[in-house]
Amino acid sequence: MENKITFKRLQDVPSVAISLGTMLWNKTGTWRYLKPKYTIKTPPCNEACPAGNDIEGFMVLVREGKLREAWELIKEENPFPGVCGRVCFHPCEASCNRREYDEALSIQAIERHIADSHLTAKKEKHHSKLRRKEKLAVIGSGPSGLTCAYHLARMGYGVTVFESHSSPGGILRIGIPEYRLPRSTLDHEISGIESLGVEIKTNTCVGKDLPFEDLSKYQAIFIATGAHRSRSLNIEGERLEGVLSGLEFLKRIHIGEKVSLGKRIVVIGGGNGAVDVARSAWRLGAEKIQMVCLESREQMPAFPEEIAGTEAEGIEIFPSTMPLRIMADGGSGKKVEFIKVNLGEAKTDGSLNPIPILGTEFYLEADSVIRAIGEVPDLSFLPQEVSIKKGLIEVGEMGFVHTKGYFAGGDAINPYHTVAGAIGSGKRAALAIHEYLQGGWLKEKFRLIQVGEKGTISMKKYFHPLEGEANPPVVPFKDIKTEYFEHHPRISIPQLSLDDRRGGFREIQPGLKKEEAQEEAGRCFNCGVCNGCDNCWIYCPDMAVKRKKDRYEIDYDYCKGCGICFEECPRSAILFEEEGR
Amino acid sequence: MSSQEMKEMERRFPEEEYFMSGHLACSGCGATIGMRYALKALGEETIVVIPACCWSMIAGVFPYSSLKVPVYHVAFETAASTATGVKAGLEMKGDATTTVLAWAGDGGTFDIGLQALSGAAERNEDFIYVCYDNEAYMNTGVQRSSATPFLTWTTTTPAHQAKEEAKKNIMEIMAAHRIPYAATASVAYPEDFFNKIKKAKEIKGLKFIHILSTCPTGWRLPTQLSIKAARLAVLTRIFPLYEIAYGEKYTLSVKPEFHPVEEYLKIQGRFSHLTDSEIEVIQENVEKAWVRLVKKAEA
Amino acid sequence: MKTVIEGSHAVSYGVMLSRVQVISAYPITPQTHIVERLSEFCANGELQARFLKVESEHSAMASCIGASAVGARAFTATSSQGLALMHELLHWASGARLPIVMANVNRALASPWNIWCDQIDSLSQRDTGWLQFYCESSQEALDTVIQAFKISESISLPSMVVLDAFYLSHTFEPVDIPDRERVDKFLPPYEPKLKLDPKDPRSFGSLTSPDTFTEMRYQMQQSMEKAKSVILEVDGEYQKIFGRGYRMIETYRCEDAELVLVTTGTVTSTSREVIDQYRDEGKAIGLLKIKSFRPFPSEEVRKELKGIPKVAVIDRNISCGVGGIFAEELKSALCNEEDRPMVFSYIAGLGGRDITQETISNVIEYTLEQDRPKEDILWPDLKR
Repeated sequence: MENKITFKRLQDVPSVAISLGTMLWNKTGTWRYLKPKYTIKTPPCNEACPAGNDIEGFMVLVREGKLREAWELIKEENPFPGVCGRVCFHPCEASCNRREYDEALSIQAIERHIADSHLTAKKEKHHSKLRRKEKLAVIGSGPSGLTCAYHLARMGYGVTVFESHSSPGGILRIGIPEYRLPRSTLDHEISGIESLGVEIKTNTCVGKDLPFEDLSKYQAIFIATGAHRSRSLNIEGERLEGVLSGLEFLKRIHIGEKVSLGKRIVVIGGGNGAVDVARSAWRLGAEKIQMVCLESREQMPAFPEEIAGTEAEGIEIFPSTMPLRIMADGGSGKKVEFIKVNLGEAKTDGSLNPIPILGTEFYLEADSVIRAIGEVPDLSFLPQEVSIKKGLIEVGEMGFVHTKGYFAGGDAINPYHTVAGAIGSGKRAALAIHEYLQGGWLKEKFRLIQVGEKGTISMKKYFHPLEGEANPPVVPFKDIKTEYFEHHPRISIPQLSLDDRRGGFREIQPGLKKEEAQEEAGRCFNCGVCNGCDNCWIYCPDMAVKRKKDRYEIDYDYCKGCGICFEECPRSAILFEEEGR
Repeated sequence: MSSQEMKEMERRFPEEEYFMSGHLACSGCGATIGMRYALKALGEETIVVIPACCWSMIAGVFPYSSLKVPVYHVAFETAASTATGVKAGLEMKGDATTTVLAWAGDGGTFDIGLQALSGAAERNEDFIYVCYDNEAYMNTGVQRSSATPFLTWTTTTPAHQAKEEAKKNIMEIMAAHRIPYAATASVAYPEDFFNKIKKAKEIKGLKFIHILSTCPTGWRLPTQLSIKAARLAVLTRIFPLYEIAYGEKYTLSVKPEFHPVEEYLKIQGRFSHLTDSEIEVIQENVEKAWVRLVKKAEA
Repeated sequence: MKTVIEGSHAVSYGVMLSRVQVISAYPITPQTHIVERLSEFCANGELQARFLKVESEHSAMASCIGASAVGARAFTATSSQGLALMHELLHWASGARLPIVMANVNRALASPWNIWCDQIDSLSQRDTGWLQFYCESSQEALDTVIQAFKISESISLPSMVVLDAFYLSHTFEPVDIPDRERVDKFLPPYEPKLKLDPKDPRSFGSLTSPDTFTEMRYQMQQSMEKAKSVILEVDGEYQKIFGRGYRMIETYRCEDAELVLVTTGTVTSTSREVIDQYRDEGKAIGLLKIKSFRPFPSEEVRKELKGIPKVAVIDRNISCGVGGIFAEELKSALCNEEDRPMVFSYIAGLGGRDITQETISNVIEYTLEQDRPKEDILWPDLKR
């Protein structure tokens, strides 16, 4: 740094007032009483993702064309981007700050794009070369079980997964139709998990083929058997021939069985399961499909885009309607009596409370009646030390069940059935098991890996803690400087035409092209995370923001604390606080 | 969670700085941003002529300078006349490439310096004249100039008798001289200003750029809102961004959606005395002026 | 080349021969002929210069400052109101140590309007740090312009070459215009050490604190002191090459004079005639012409006037409240001398009133009659 210049003698003084040095000796940082500081905050999408994806992180990588890095980033948290990128209920999009400016990012489509770009990906990566001696068991190869196995295997543990069906995947394989989730995608991601050394033993039902006690040789057990027992309607005629459960129907289609349903189908239920059934039946050639549910149109729990697809395919929906009885109607035909209802306040156990409207009875004729009103877990195989409440396994923090080393997750513990939720619970349990085995179990550690306040956790934070605050606040929309963003609509993704959908289970939605994904990713605000936009560097009146190779740095010798950088950061990635004393 | 890795975004401006830290501008000064980008656009072959104004102090006192180009400090009203002489001298010395940049405040342009500027414009002298406008005599303590907007508080137009006259329309004055290029700019739009300076550099003759420069000290607003204010001035159409070629062809640089003037006025202490009806009058005036400007641009 | 030209044009030739590079001018009577001829020189290529037709004298000086600051040789000319308008910039130019040369045609300052000869305009600027040279003839004016560039560029202070309005500016006299090659040899191109240069970027003229300001003003004064010897050197060189020299003062027939008349400008020419007449009559009257007013030739004046009983100063100007400026400065130079003359201060010729031989004789007569001046300021040509 330059020093001050002093003139001691006459001859030192120049004849004119000419500059002889710079002002760098003048450390204007002493003027400051407020100080800016670079920070990372939590983007709302990351908080909302039950699987714990670093969405903002992969969005940046996609924008830069770095699909490999994006894929690896997702894989740190979630082994199923191809699955989630197709079937998730995308709460990330519902919390995306951009939706308050124009439209939310197409996060799901981008996750899918990343996964689809790696269909030829090689072996998955372990965390480190460490291979541990402990052996662990996972019961159920659904999204929860396989995610738990994946993370444990990456940490170096030996894992064996016991699957009662003939092929792995759980509800992903038998419950979700191929037009939503192609088998190839599922198979690819499962084989990725197997490449880590995870052993999947199919056709092995714990409780039937293998007693639960036999699992005591494993150092820990993760119970993720899901919910596969269809709920009953509890009405007359439920046991007539041609009345089936939706899950049963979908299972049979999956194994390639030719299911003959006849021409007229009535599907009872308003959730995704019912919709999957109805749309699958349409593809199998049913001529008239009618869907009936207790919920009103607005209350239907199925995904809005699925309901839209249902109606586009000509399926009639009868909301606010309750079945009273099923009667045989000559030959294989049936007649179902229905009554219109209003939904009253939910019952104390959370179930729906339909109030019939007298005099609104009507009939629908059908060849097959399929009930798809939800599933519940079958937990009869569990030992008595496992506590069951309201038909679900009772779990403590992080999926802990019992000190014998039992943990649980997925639909077996959660009445709200989501794939992402299941994946999240599998990841949580993997960390819990790891801590349990290594003799840790610090509540503090689990607090430090939270992402926001909705229970999402980050594997990455576990292994690479953040500098500064572990779980910084979520960035609200009001903190985004929308002046720096031009309006740009969300990418629209066309679906297959009706003709192309009919008669087969072709994937209904194509993926994004690379340029489309990049453009869409460019719409991301990058809430709370610096993306190198240069605003702070551009607007600093004192040139006190320096650009280093991979970050910005404030030269506090000169920063006058004006706060312009803080104010003009489009994404609230700078703090501005009183100078520390 | 992402790491703090710098993403490879396109750099929006050249890296090289001609303006160093340690200078004496107030915290949050907008005029510094103007000079920084003007010099980035012009490069090291530039001579800057600075009359009495805040910039007489900002670059530093004798024997220091925080600028990496030659600077000539001159008397208050002589920015344009001294620049004329500098350019003539350079030409006679065989230097046709060095750019002469006159850098004056609103007082030294709209008021005391207007004659010299008019003379230089009429003769179409070949240099760039930038008036960085903070809308009062800020260096001497916030006294009103003819660039101070209607109804603004200053120390010589206190709140109960705020400025009665409208802001002098310097752009129309420059247009009347039919100089090859005149433009407005704002410190909140540095790319726009940078491009306009680059454009001016390639034109022979007098180029005039009027850049609105926030003064948190004199406008009485928190320093962190300095850029926001300069942006709102443009968005509310109080200070539209446009270009005029040869006094006739008008081109708008930014066509903002409607933003009420209140957004701009309410964040500044120098407008805190305004009543609702006064704000309405200001809104009307702004709208009339905008309509006139748009008509000219469409002609 | 010998020719007969106007005083104004003699200045123009001086400027042209000095290869001035930037001329900046605003018209004012009676300076106009200087710049008009220069305009022609530029238009026909005899002078390669940028001629800036600025919109006021203030801008004329400002643009000279700008041009000189980048190292170009700069010139302007003005008079009266124009010079007064430039006042702040005259201080600026000298403080910035720029060797600008300006021709000033002495004209009265308003109010009321008066376009004729009066020295108050240039003398009002005596504190601005400019050298001032008062010329008696067209030849002297031409020669002084060329010398002024050399002197100024040597000591880095600007010079003012002063001509009487109309008496000198608009009268025709025989003038020997020097040839280019010898002028070029005498006056090389201007190459300043300090100038605006992107290759060595500096800031000039920033705020300077009390810590160094005194030293800068001291250095200016030192340069003014040095100017005295530089003027004599340059003039001596000019004399050698061109056969003409003027020095800082000239004494005419002052040997054992009992009265020395002190004059400047064209009055000097008239006075020479009167002195000759007195000498022919056997009266010991001499003449001291002051050419260099800044720097004031104190030592020379003290030397020449030592032992002279009486001095009569004719001032074509008045600083109201104190008197004729040349007289005041002279008294100031003499006040500590032991053997100093009695100084009579006469104001005559204001606003272009002719100073005739009669006026001059009256001055001499009155001075001879009185032992001491009855008043500090005497008005020989006042209507009674």
